[in-house]
Amino acid sequence: MWSFVVVQLLNALSLAALLFLVAAGLTLIFGILRVVNFAHGAFYMVGAYLGFTTVVLSGRFWLALLVVPPIVGLIGASLEVSTLRFIYQRSPNYQLLLTFGIGLVLEETVRVIYGANSKSVDAPSLLDGSVHLFGTPYPTYRLFLTGLGIAIALGVWLFFARTHAGLIIRAMAQNSEMANCLGTNVQRVRTLVFGASCALAAVGGVASAPMTTAYLGMSVNVVVDAFVVVVIGGLGSVVGSAAGSLIVAAAQTWGGYYISETAMILMYLVMGAILIFRPHGLFGEKE
Amino acid sequence: MTRSRVLVLTYAITLAVLFAIPWLLARYQLSIFIELLIFGLFAMSLDLIMGYAGMISFGHAAYFGLGAYASGLILIHFEAPIPVALLAGIALAGAVAAPVGWLSTRATGIYFAMLTLAFAQLLYTLAYKWRELTGGSDGIAGVPKTALFWGLPNVTSPAVFYFIVLSCLLSSWIACRALIRSPFGHAIQGIRENEARFVSLGRDSRPFKLLVFVIAAGVAGLAGALFAPFRGFASPEAMFWVASGQVIMMVILGGIGTLIGPIIGAMVFILIQEVLSSHTAHWMLFTGIVFVLMVILLPGGIVGLARRLFEGRT
Amino acid sequence: MTAVLDTLDLSRSFGALQAVSNVTMSVQRGEFRAIIGPNGAGKTTLFNLISGKIVPTAGRVLFHGEDLTATPAPERCRRGISRTFQMTSIFPELTVSENVRLAVQLKGEGNFRIFGGQKQLLASARKAEEAIGLLGLLDRTNVPASTLAHGDQRLLEIAMAVAQDPQLLLLDEPTQGLSIEETTATVETIRRVARERKLSVLLVEHDMEVVFGLADRITVLHFGAIIADGTPDEIRMNVNVQKAYLGAD
Repeated sequence: MWSFVVVQLLNALSLAALLFLVAAGLTLIFGILRVVNFAHGAFYMVGAYLGFTTVVLSGRFWLALLVVPPIVGLIGASLEVSTLRFIYQRSPNYQLLLTFGIGLVLEETVRVIYGANSKSVDAPSLLDGSVHLFGTPYPTYRLFLTGLGIAIALGVWLFFARTHAGLIIRAMAQNSEMANCLGTNVQRVRTLVFGASCALAAVGGVASAPMTTAYLGMSVNVVVDAFVVVVIGGLGSVVGSAAGSLIVAAAQTWGGYYISETAMILMYLVMGAILIFRPHGLFGEKE
Repeated sequence: MTRSRVLVLTYAITLAVLFAIPWLLARYQLSIFIELLIFGLFAMSLDLIMGYAGMISFGHAAYFGLGAYASGLILIHFEAPIPVALLAGIALAGAVAAPVGWLSTRATGIYFAMLTLAFAQLLYTLAYKWRELTGGSDGIAGVPKTALFWGLPNVTSPAVFYFIVLSCLLSSWIACRALIRSPFGHAIQGIRENEARFVSLGRDSRPFKLLVFVIAAGVAGLAGALFAPFRGFASPEAMFWVASGQVIMMVILGGIGTLIGPIIGAMVFILIQEVLSSHTAHWMLFTGIVFVLMVILLPGGIVGLARRLFEGRT
Repeated sequence: MTAVLDTLDLSRSFGALQAVSNVTMSVQRGEFRAIIGPNGAGKTTLFNLISGKIVPTAGRVLFHGEDLTATPAPERCRRGISRTFQMTSIFPELTVSENVRLAVQLKGEGNFRIFGGQKQLLASARKAEEAIGLLGLLDRTNVPASTLAHGDQRLLEIAMAVAQDPQLLLLDEPTQGLSIEETTATVETIRRVARERKLSVLLVEHDMEVVFGLADRITVLHFGAIIADGTPDEIRMNVNVQKAYLGAD
């Protein structure tokens, strides 16, 4: 009995970690830069596919984890410079449309290069297999995911709360004109943050690939899930993203135990309840 | 010639051509043209939300799909006259849009957009999994074209079906135009322009947004309800997010906020799709790139470009 | 006779910062009252408390003796408090006439009809036209609001508020960003409008010339509290006020 509860708990935790990786990037870039990035899920997907290629070419998963995020970050940054930059002054609707188009182009490009079938990625032998917890075997890889998610969460929080660069970015979010006057190159910071958020998404993609395989539907599934997390947790709040991730993961894990459909329904019920009673999310700021 | 004279002339010529179409086109071409009109209607419905209310919806295709399913099921199981199927499509789409819209309009901007996507994906999954009702991933096939009214023979001639679709499109267009010019329509545009100011002037904006959302869903449902007997089937693919993305592209391509523009955009989009798909399997990639370029360089779409050219000359 | 507006011990703090503290004031019918004070005195916060944009941490707001403290801003607008904004907030792509007409309709009792609303539109348009004429924008009534010069957009803001036939008009720095000539013209316009419509007005301003040219009474805030309250002459000679402004330099 105990072991069942523990396994479910750990499942929820590892799912939460994955969701958090994506949702945190999303809430940061929107909460801080007020940039609306529909393509966030697409960068996650590109990360997964590039991770696949890296593993196929080099046989090393760790290499993928190291090399793919910067590459995807660069792709994201160059897209920001060549497209997004021109429409910042327009209404945010156009950002949404543009990043939607970018997401679509990315997905189609992946389809052209890799085809429509999903690609499975082997986890490194170190993480393969299971660990014995409370008497039951539990997949090591899921534990790794959970640990990775927590580590990145801490890293991001530390960056924004404790470093000078993080302070600059937060200041920029409050008042970009002022930040400009004070010497910050707002354009460059925007590009950097955008690229970093894409890289963060890619980490999630690479990390999830051994568990979920790399498949085309990832981009939309993940972005919908991430937004549900952000709606529940609240805009611009990393703590909210963490809480939202846990709630959504719990709903999906326990809801999905009996019938997989109820997982989705339960998640939407929770989201619906939040929308009715706390439209700004659990930790969101009132605008 | 004054601008309004040119406009009236254009309308008159267009109307005349539209009425003559069945005699001008071969059967296969007429079939494509009917599809252009159906998607034109679909795209115009989205323009109500996007162009006039300023709300981006990533899940509009769900209502097209709901209309198709309602219509298809009514036609297969009850063999009711076509108008009944159309009404069923509008009703189901509107009925589902009401609670979805109510929940979604509690958020704004990107949140609203993502919520529409989330709910649409939910509906898509329901359609995909509920095999007994919707036929699952295969959808429902063999949707017949029935009669215009009880006692009349079934519609077999493509020309008659063409006029059914055309009259739906024209009457919807007239209704949408009336809506835009009504006090309600002006309020909606005010919300688009400055929602905070609207609210501070004394009214809650949410009921307005909800109503326009439901109306747009109903019109999309009408398009879907026409699609089912036209093609003879209804499938979950019509509700997938890619389909929602395509109708957004049609609106942007044609010209957001113009009602006519999206109809033109839909026609151009489908024609391009027809041409490109015969040359390459990757036509969606090119379309996506064109879309991105248009958002950056030509946000006013075809109609916007035409207006600029026309204004430049007078 | 009840005052149009009463604030009783109105206070608002943001964390440790006491933005407005124990402000008790009374605006009479037909009065033109200005609220002034050095930067950071809490004028805007007080304004927002009265219009309902923010909720007080203590104290009450009474409108014609009725407690409105718990009433949200849109509802206060419908009860008769209309305001303008410091940062011009209009409907850019709608025409001047449509802007003001929408303001009229949003205040009105009628439903926003989809079919058959033309009569309602015409009635609202007529009312809007009166306000537009009063503010001197009649010759530009059919152009998109975004094409107006900044000064005219400020006038449009006022027209929208005035068209709602308010019992209390809140003007938030109406001459913000205007040149000297525009300011003089705007002051003249505001004086005329207030007189013709017999409005009770609450004005927040930085420009002293504007204030002394318009106000019947002036309330001076400093660090969120009232330090002086009186006629323009009294305020001009008030030592505390002078200290507050000079000291804050």
